[in-house]
Amino acid sequence: MTEGGRPIKKRRGILGALALIAIAVGLYWGLVIAPPDAYQGQVQRIMYLHLPSILTAYLSYFLVFIGSGMYLWKREKRDDILAHSAAELGVLFTALTIIEGSIWGRPTWGVWWTWDARLTLTAILLLIYIGYLMLRSLIEDEDRAAAAAAVLGIIGFLDIPLIHMSVYWWRTLHQPPSILQPNKAPWENVHPSMLIALTINFVGFLLLYFYLLSLRYRFGEMRGEIKARRLARGG
Amino acid sequence: MGAWGFVGLAYGIVWGIILLYLISLKRRYNSAQVELDALSSVEATDCDVKK
Repeated sequence: MTEGGRPIKKRRGILGALALIAIAVGLYWGLVIAPPDAYQGQVQRIMYLHLPSILTAYLSYFLVFIGSGMYLWKREKRDDILAHSAAELGVLFTALTIIEGSIWGRPTWGVWWTWDARLTLTAILLLIYIGYLMLRSLIEDEDRAAAAAAVLGIIGFLDIPLIHMSVYWWRTLHQPPSILQPNKAPWENVHPSMLIALTINFVGFLLLYFYLLSLRYRFGEMRGEIKARRLARGG
Repeated sequence: MGAWGFVGLAYGIVWGIILLYLISLKRRYNSAQVELDALSSVEATDCDVKK
């Protein structure tokens, strides 16, 4: 259904309102209700931003992967618009993750940045998808740009398993996962209130992400429509 | 800077950047919508002239 049909706009509005509510509750729970960490103290509250933003970035790159694969297979414009929109949002959430990590790293590790395996691979991920966005603007032929970007979008996704496994394969400053551990329920490792804060913030980020994605996707559709109509008019 | 200073810095920067992105996306979206509406009205005028 097109944007002209009110239901999509209305649904997007509801999504935005739900995101706002979840974010407000998440902020209150994360900053007021959840207890400080036994070792890191108050600064651990950055985790309620850090984890949801990297997981949202991973989801975004997964959508780039799917959209790119589908575009290379079927050559449908909508798949390319999805991949392009998701890549832009992926870059946003990866950049936020690196900024949060850097601010968290200063009081806990004593440095703003270090060439730790996970940090370096995350920075590489950001550079790959900045490259993806640049590639699209550098190639004039839209179909060629979409195809080249799709290949990069698929290859770039391979960095994510490396980021995930980096804490097991190399010696890094990052600790192995403390919430999702084999043979242990999440609440056995983390205070339930912290787990609730994390869940609410993650839901808030997800709702916000889908709100932004829907807006960015429609913008991509409109841009394509404008170009096609101008071409049809000979402009 | 104390622990709460780092927390405030992180939350402030993150929500500030997200807000800026949302504003820029809304602007791009609205200008595309205006352009699309203008094209539609020009096309409608062309159609009327042909009739």
